[in-house]
Amino acid sequence: MRYENLVYEQKPFDGVYVLDVHGHIGFEQGSQLGPHDGKSIVHTMDRMGVDAVCVSYSPGLRGDWKRGNDITAQVCGAYRGRVLGYAAPNPFHKDCDVSEYFAEDRGFVGIKIHGNIQGETPENDPRYAHAFELANKRKLPVLFHAWMPYEIDRAADVARQYPDLKVIIGHGGLTFAREHAVAVCKKYDNVYCDTAISSAPDGSIEWLVDKIGIDRVLYGSDMTFFDCIHTMGKIALAKLTDEEKEKIFGLNAKSLFGL
Amino acid sequence: MLRFIDARCMLGNRCIIREGDPNTKEDILELMDRCHIEKAVVYHAMAKESELPGGNMALVEETKDNDRFIRQWCALPSYFGEYLSAEDFFAAMKEHHVTSMRLLPKTCGYSLRPHVIGKLMDLAAQCRMPVFISLFEELTSDEVYDLCKAYPDVNFVVGNTGYRENRRLGPAVEQCDNLYLGTGNYVAHCGVELFCKYYGAERLVFDTGLPTGSATAAVSLIGYAEISREEKELIAHGNIERLLGEVTL
Amino acid sequence: MLNFIDARCQLGRRGIVREGEPVTKSDILELMDRCSIEKAIAYHAMAKEGDMKAGNDLLLQETEGDERFIRQWCAMPSTFGEFMGAEELAEQMKKHHVSSIRLFPKTHGYSVKPYAMGKFMDVMAQCHVPVFLTYAECGSEDNLYSLLSSYPEVNFIISDASYRENRKLFPLMEQCKNLLLGTGNFVVHGGVKLICDYFGAERMIFDTGLPMGSATAAVALICYAEISEEEKQLIAHGNIERLLADVKL
Repeated sequence: MRYENLVYEQKPFDGVYVLDVHGHIGFEQGSQLGPHDGKSIVHTMDRMGVDAVCVSYSPGLRGDWKRGNDITAQVCGAYRGRVLGYAAPNPFHKDCDVSEYFAEDRGFVGIKIHGNIQGETPENDPRYAHAFELANKRKLPVLFHAWMPYEIDRAADVARQYPDLKVIIGHGGLTFAREHAVAVCKKYDNVYCDTAISSAPDGSIEWLVDKIGIDRVLYGSDMTFFDCIHTMGKIALAKLTDEEKEKIFGLNAKSLFGL
Repeated sequence: MLRFIDARCMLGNRCIIREGDPNTKEDILELMDRCHIEKAVVYHAMAKESELPGGNMALVEETKDNDRFIRQWCALPSYFGEYLSAEDFFAAMKEHHVTSMRLLPKTCGYSLRPHVIGKLMDLAAQCRMPVFISLFEELTSDEVYDLCKAYPDVNFVVGNTGYRENRRLGPAVEQCDNLYLGTGNYVAHCGVELFCKYYGAERLVFDTGLPTGSATAAVSLIGYAEISREEKELIAHGNIERLLGEVTL
Repeated sequence: MLNFIDARCQLGRRGIVREGEPVTKSDILELMDRCSIEKAIAYHAMAKEGDMKAGNDLLLQETEGDERFIRQWCAMPSTFGEFMGAEELAEQMKKHHVSSIRLFPKTHGYSVKPYAMGKFMDVMAQCHVPVFLTYAECGSEDNLYSLLSSYPEVNFIISDASYRENRKLFPLMEQCKNLLLGTGNFVVHGGVKLICDYFGAERMIFDTGLPMGSATAAVALICYAEISEEEKQLIAHGNIERLLADVKL
């Protein structure tokens, strides 16, 4: 009952390792967000007891990949260990090479692929291959925006082609396509699901745990589109044991990211 | 050769680029030279595609020391201090010699109703600043009519038009004196000629839509139009010069 | 722990149910207990998805003698005698202790413009009946503005507004004081605090959207919001209690 009580008493999640694998920073062109810079997310993390968050810079996904990843690097540097970076490649820019972000310790821990806002580029497009090869070589996680069944299938194809990288299906384990995500997780050992979705009903995280096992579910919030507490509350008040909740909150991701 | 001023050009690194497209500022300047386009009204790709505030400032940086580019900023009505207030936005445009603005209601998810953009439009009217917007991408032809009627003291330049909208845009031009159309994609057979005959050359503004539009086609369309030299001059540069010349920011 | 009153809960068998989701009234009561939700304003799935009249009748049966559910009927303006007229609706609501209505204009295919809603909304206004609907059911920002501005004396609780609508929603909240925001899916980072700071906690009403929405996430969102305890109390239950106490059927 420990984590339920935290919510009831409105206490931060201190004493449990919380790693949010699905975060964003930066302005959103299509809609107004709340506070969205590094300082504001760390403030929220401090309030909530979140240890670390992995982020990509949203405008860089839609626009200039270099500028976006550079800003991510700056924020990771400013909040070392608290904000971790996803390097996000752009499939249209031939000069795009994200390896520089992993050449030294700049706080990057994985790759983010968001093909649907990059001209509907398929998630397994060869133009992302350099990033996949890098991730495969370094055994890095790759977070896919994979909401639709076909997006999940393409992410799975990357898992098949690059068995040493780790695929995180962002959103898809809890969308209407969740059965698809489950099938993919059962087929490939290197596929995981995060919890980043606002519209999943109660019971859905328990369902996902039942289908793919407790070790494959990762806490992701989609902050700053969403407030991280939304999904933290869903996990804390879920019908799971404290040990299971701790795995979802951060222990699974800690191991996955090698932290 | 006619002298052109392009009323719709985007600078900066954009998300989707294709091999062979003009992608850099140098590419665009080369095309402008080739097409006798003396100057271009420019906004920034970042302001349109990904990060409006940063993009507007990036435009200032990229057009520094180059008087062939006439600066245009993208507008965002601000709530909760998300961006500059209307007054601050205009003050910043003045400071950075920006002479027109572009609305992105669909891209940025805001309404064109007076309770949202009214203040911006009031200030645009006060300083006679023309307001640009792209058809289809940002609004429908019906919404063009509503926009022009809601803010009758603002001049609107609507780009990215097309022959499919003739039956909607024609009546709007007829009934809204403050509506100007960009020529870039207005490529119907004899469309420019018919437009001039019925609504007058004063209501067309040359534009290219560079770098995704074609400047070579756009200049040819006006160069070969079966209209008078005087009408061509108005479309190619006279109308936009007049609109921008009225700005008293 | 805060005590909550949920302003959006659906009871009854629904068309689409997925494994693991709460389905029965017992499931919902168990979740309400787990989340410290004392009471819930409930409408019936059949009134939304199938037969409005039959669904409203089923709601009466299913909530008979159960004080944790505050009855809400689905309603619509009656054409050709299809549904109850507005006066009869008000009488029946009084008789059966139904204190609010929920509209599904998109699902049920009617317009929210005054020409269609006039008489119906006039009666709801006279009786101070709060009117609930989701942002998506309005169909557009234009429809929502029309509804809010045409009936300024009616309190509308608008829920399920995605963060994608923020640039339309915030100006509407500023313009239309009768717009109260359901918190259920308003999950943008720092969003609850923003609304409280700019518009006041009086403008937010706690809701879950059960059984399709998540009650656990909804309560956590309010519990951990960076606002005062007093503001949390208003959102969690105070505001909805005030609205329901004001009903004069």
